[in-house]
Amino acid sequence: MKKLITALIATVIASVPVSAAPKSKVVAAPTPPPYTGVYQPQGVDEIGLWREDDERERALTNSPLVIRDEALNAYVKSVLCKTVGSDRCNTVRLYILRVPLFNASMSPNGTMRVFSGLLLRTRSEAELGAVLGHEFGHFENRHTLQQFKSARSGTDLLSWAALLASMSGTRQSYQNFDSIRLSVYGGLARFERNQEREADLLGLGYLNNGPLRPHAASRVWRNLILEVEASSAARGLRKPNFNGVSFFASHPPDGERVNYLYALAAPDGEGRDDGTGRHEAALKPWITAFLDDQVSLNDFGASEFLINSLAESGWTADLWRARGDLFRARGNPRDLMNAADFYAKSVAMNSELAEAHRGLGLSLIKTGRQVEGRTALERYLQLQPTASDASMIAMTIASSEGK
Amino acid sequence: MSGITRWIALWLCAIVLITNSGIAQERTAVKQGFELSANSGKKILLIRPKVSVGEQSTGGLFEPNADWTDKARKNLDAALFKKQGALGNTVLVSPEAYGDQALVSEEYTNLFGAVASAVVNYQFFVGNRLPTKKRDNKAGVFDWSLGEGVRNIPGAQGADYALFIYNKDAYGSTGRKLLQIAAALGPGLAVKSGEHLGYAGLVDLKTGELLWLNADAAMGGDVREIDGAEKRVGQLLEEFPGSVEAVEKAKQP
Repeated sequence: MKKLITALIATVIASVPVSAAPKSKVVAAPTPPPYTGVYQPQGVDEIGLWREDDERERALTNSPLVIRDEALNAYVKSVLCKTVGSDRCNTVRLYILRVPLFNASMSPNGTMRVFSGLLLRTRSEAELGAVLGHEFGHFENRHTLQQFKSARSGTDLLSWAALLASMSGTRQSYQNFDSIRLSVYGGLARFERNQEREADLLGLGYLNNGPLRPHAASRVWRNLILEVEASSAARGLRKPNFNGVSFFASHPPDGERVNYLYALAAPDGEGRDDGTGRHEAALKPWITAFLDDQVSLNDFGASEFLINSLAESGWTADLWRARGDLFRARGNPRDLMNAADFYAKSVAMNSELAEAHRGLGLSLIKTGRQVEGRTALERYLQLQPTASDASMIAMTIASSEGK
Repeated sequence: MSGITRWIALWLCAIVLITNSGIAQERTAVKQGFELSANSGKKILLIRPKVSVGEQSTGGLFEPNADWTDKARKNLDAALFKKQGALGNTVLVSPEAYGDQALVSEEYTNLFGAVASAVVNYQFFVGNRLPTKKRDNKAGVFDWSLGEGVRNIPGAQGADYALFIYNKDAYGSTGRKLLQIAAALGPGLAVKSGEHLGYAGLVDLKTGELLWLNADAAMGGDVREIDGAEKRVGQLLEEFPGSVEAVEKAKQP
């Protein structure tokens, strides 16, 4: 009996990688399939997932994280429509969430969530469209459903294997169970990575067929690599490996994505419009808020990288102010000297910017330049007499006079 | 997003359930001094219940089923009205809210969920009690609140109390049942098939205080059927202040 069970487990192991790993290799960015009209879920699993998702969306519509600025929403929607085509994008409900991280997602019922951190990191309509198209690819190919099914068959298999292993009770059977477990977990992670590759290619397929420059897709990931490098360099960490695949990785390595997205972008798309100007104009009212969120993440290297890359098209009072905040938040004496310098540049460009006067004053007082500091803080109170910290600033002024 | 990792985590939770199936226990608490006499004609605002019904896969994952969820929602609503009417209280359905009002409603539903799970984890779960919630320290302490802001919940003006209900049912699939039988017959392991979790809470709409909470991790009654839903609501509202069971319990010395 025990031998039989051990043999059974061995057979099960042999069958695992086949069941859990579909096609993998990246060949070419496919042209998007013809649009088949509004999709409705089919089968008990999919209808069930959609219903759960409807409930989540109902809660999402009332979330305080959602940015309800109609102009910004219309802009992001327009980029999605340019990328995937107006027939596809019409059914999408798009929610911009104020979360300072690089991410977006699309869930089974067609709810698209875009994090504000993504908007801060993209420099053109084409770059934003590349990520939105990728997420739409997950939806079009119904990846959540496939993922649910693969996780279910994987865990079903593991349950029976666990049972068989404990029935057999031999050392060998437990070792076999461990191997099955690793290969199921590894298979599930690889399944997810392949879905990401598929969505990457579908997203690139939309861009290739649309009016925007497809080479921007590769650039998104290159910029992300540079940002991660800057972040780890600032902390003195070893440069991360952008090409290795770790066992539980949910996404393909960034280096691989940069390469295939560049190689498979339509060559005739090189001269197309990026939409950089339109992107900048649409984000202008929000960029200060998004920068503040980023600075408060306490990731010095990444924030400094983002501010500098935004400044490539020219420094503004707001950018200098944000950089001052970043340095002042770290707060070493050397940082405060730099911060005071940045705030001074900000004030020189826009003397009405209250926050810059506040930061300038506080940095100057801390570095021993009391008189100039007081002047700056007084100017802040003049510009914003009803600020929430007005009385605290007034106290700072008074106590620095007392010294 | 790392969906697969989430599924694996869910599966690991299911494994833990296999080994700890004994922890499921029912608990009820009423705020000290709170009484709601039968037929007092109070108005109770029913916040849209969270209902989710599905199957439990062989590996223990939750497989949502839209048809069952719809049926359960309908049956539970009907059963609630019937039960409350019999107690002499009026159940009001929370009105459809828009804009900022909808935000408030959603926020308080989430806050109730957080407070209720804190009660379950830090007061009902005996081994994990917070020092301030220990019965040894103070007799019959049940002191939790959502804050006075509950007055702003849409529909709160015309009601005395708000009733929150959460219900999750995962019926064991055929595969799960087979696994359960095989595990019992073979190595003699106890595998739990199906999960029926529910809690209900009553909040004072003037003060925000949590007046009564009932949490049950092993509920009876098939919510997909009308009779079953009535049984379920009976269990959810067990020892509801003012109900026959609670009155009889109070009479006992």
